[in-house]
Amino acid sequence: MPPLIAIRGLRKTYRMGDENVHALDGVDLDFQKGEFVAILGPSGSGKSTLMHILGFMDTPSEGSIVFDGEEVARLDPDRRAWYRSHRVGFVFQAFNLLPRLTVVENVALPLLYRDNSDPEANLAAARAALERVGMSHRLDHRPGQLSGGERQRVAVARAIVGTPSIIFADEPTGNLDVKNVDRVLDLLGSLIKEGITVVLVTHDLSVAEKAHRVISMRAGLVQEDRVR
Amino acid sequence: MRLFDRVRPAVINGLRELQANKVRSLLSMSGIILGVASLVAMVTVVQGMVGNFRQFVDAMGGIEKITVLREQLPKEQEHLAELSEGLTMRDVDRIRRTVPLVRNISPEARVGYEKIVYEDRETNTYVTGVTADYLPVAKRWVEPEQGRFVSDLDVHNMTDVIVLGSAVVPELFAPNVDPVGQVVKVRGRRFTVIGVLNNIEGTGMQIRSANSRSSGGAWRYRNSGAFIPVSTALTKYNGNDRLSGLGLRIADPEQLRDAVEQAERTMLAAHKGLRDFSISTNEQTLEDFRKTEAAFKLSLGGVAGISLFVGGIGIMNVMLASINERIREIGVRKAVGARGSDLFLQFLAEAAVVSVVGGLIGLLVSVGIVSLMNFILMQALPTGAVATLDWVIMGEGLAFSVVIGLIAGVYPALRAAKLDPIEALRHE
Repeated sequence: MPPLIAIRGLRKTYRMGDENVHALDGVDLDFQKGEFVAILGPSGSGKSTLMHILGFMDTPSEGSIVFDGEEVARLDPDRRAWYRSHRVGFVFQAFNLLPRLTVVENVALPLLYRDNSDPEANLAAARAALERVGMSHRLDHRPGQLSGGERQRVAVARAIVGTPSIIFADEPTGNLDVKNVDRVLDLLGSLIKEGITVVLVTHDLSVAEKAHRVISMRAGLVQEDRVR
Repeated sequence: MRLFDRVRPAVINGLRELQANKVRSLLSMSGIILGVASLVAMVTVVQGMVGNFRQFVDAMGGIEKITVLREQLPKEQEHLAELSEGLTMRDVDRIRRTVPLVRNISPEARVGYEKIVYEDRETNTYVTGVTADYLPVAKRWVEPEQGRFVSDLDVHNMTDVIVLGSAVVPELFAPNVDPVGQVVKVRGRRFTVIGVLNNIEGTGMQIRSANSRSSGGAWRYRNSGAFIPVSTALTKYNGNDRLSGLGLRIADPEQLRDAVEQAERTMLAAHKGLRDFSISTNEQTLEDFRKTEAAFKLSLGGVAGISLFVGGIGIMNVMLASINERIREIGVRKAVGARGSDLFLQFLAEAAVVSVVGGLIGLLVSVGIVSLMNFILMQALPTGAVATLDWVIMGEGLAFSVVIGLIAGVYPALRAAKLDPIEALRHE
C-alpha cells in the first residue's frame, strides 16, 4: 500500500540577516495511513518546520511531497487552506480554543470554512466529535470554564471533526498535569483505529515513547527513525 | 448564494464581537453616530428652509413675476419732471401690445392705508385698486365658497365692490357673519364685499421678513389688504390716472431676462426716454437665497462630512486594535482551514456591523435633534409648521455610514487576511 505521505529531498531555507539558515536540510520520510508517529527533537531541530510544511501552513524551499497520491509541495494559499480544512487536524500545546465561542462552536469551526457548509450539520458533527472524546456534557460551556485536560480533549474533537487523514499534535501535553497527559495521549493514540495518522511533535522523550515510531531530528536532518 | 453563506456567519460573528465589547464599540461608533445624526438633521433642516422659501417666493408672485414701480426721476432728468406722466393704464396697453412674452398685466393703484368700517367695527389696512389680472400675477385666488374677485366688468363700470384679505375678515366680522354681501365703508364710501382672498399659510420653517410686525410674519402681511377695481380707485379716490405699479407675469421663467429687456425698451420709448419707473424681479431674492442655502449646505455638510470621516478613522483604529488583540484567533482560524478571503470577510463584516449599528443610533439621535429644533421653533412661531424627517434622507444617511464603515474596514481586514498563520499562532 502506498504511504499517505512521501517526502523526498525536503529543504527549507530561511534568510536571517546575511546568512541562510537551513531549517530542513534534505529530509526523506514516509508516513503510513493509521500510523502513530512521534517527531522528537530539541528546539531548532526542524521538527516544527516539518510539521508546518506537512500541515499545509508553509511551503518547502525544495523537494517533493506526495500526499495521498498528489504532489502538494507547491500549492497556492487557497488550495493549502482547502487541505487544512479537509485533510489535516491540529492539536496545539496552548489548546487555542476561541474564548468567545462555546465548546460545540469551537469544534464546528473547521467545517465553517468548507464550501456548502450547513450550520445544523456542522453542529451535529461537532456533537458527535465531542461524544468521541468524552466531552458531550460540556457543549455550551465556554473554554474558560473548562480544565486544561478538558480543553485539550475539546481541541482533539476540533481536530477530528472534519474526518482528516492526519493529525498533528504539537506538544499536546505541555500544559497538562500528569493525570491528563496519559488521558490525552491515549485519546490521540486511539485515533489510529479510525485510520487517522497521528503525528506527535515533541521534545519530551517520555511523550514520544507513547508512539509506535519515533523519528529523531537534529539540525534539519532525520537522525534516527525507529519503530518500536 | 455562496457569498451569502459566507457573509451570514461573518455578520453573526460581528454582532457577537460588538456585544462582547460594548463600551469599546460604542466609543468607536461615536464619530459615525454624530456624523449620521448631523447629516440627517442638516439635510432635513435645509430642505425645510428650501421648501419654505419656495413658497415665500411663490407668495411674492414667483420667479415669473416682474414688478414695474413708479419712481422719482433720476437727478440728471429732474428738470424734465413736467414731461413725466408716470405709470398709467396706457402703459398697460403698450406692454400688452408690444411685449408678447408677458401673459398677464396687473395695474395697481394704491389708495392708501385706510380705515375700513363695518357697523360698529373697524380696522386699518392697505386699500389697492386692481384688475382681474391681479390674481394670476400675484398667484392668488378666491375659494368658490368665499365669493369672487374684481372682474373686468367691475373695472369697466367703476363699481363699488371690495375684496378683503383673509386677515382682515376676523377684525371686521363676527365669526358667524358671512362677509360676502356685507357693506363696508372706506373713507365714507360704501363698498359691497364680493369676496375674500385665499389664506396663505406657511409650511416648513418660517422665514422672518422685514415686514413682519407680529407673529405670523410675512404670511400675515400677505393676508391683509383690501382690493377694489382700479378704475374706482383712480377716479373716486386718487383723482388722477397715475398707477403705483404694474405686476407682469411672463409665460416662461426661462425668458425672464428677455421679457425684462423688452418691457424696459417699450416703457422707455413710451415715456420719451424718462426714467420715471423701475423694473425689478424676484430673481435677486431667489439668488440671495440660493447662496444662503449653498452656504448652509457647505458648512453643515462639511461638519457632517468631517465627523463621518473621523468616524471612519475611529472604526479603522478600533478594528486595527481588535485585530492586534486577536492575532492568535486569526492564526487558529487559518490553521483549521480559513482562507485569507474568509478572514477579510469576517473583519469587513465586523466593521460594517459597527457602522450600521452606529448609523442606526445616529438616526435616533437625529430624530431627537429635529424634534428639539421643532420644539424651539414652535415656541418662537406659533403658526410655524416645521421640518419633517424624510425616510429617504434617513436611508441615505444610513447608507452613507455603511459605505464609510466598509471603506474603513478594508485596510484592517486586509491585514488580518494577510497574516501568516504560523507567526499568528506563535503570537503571545
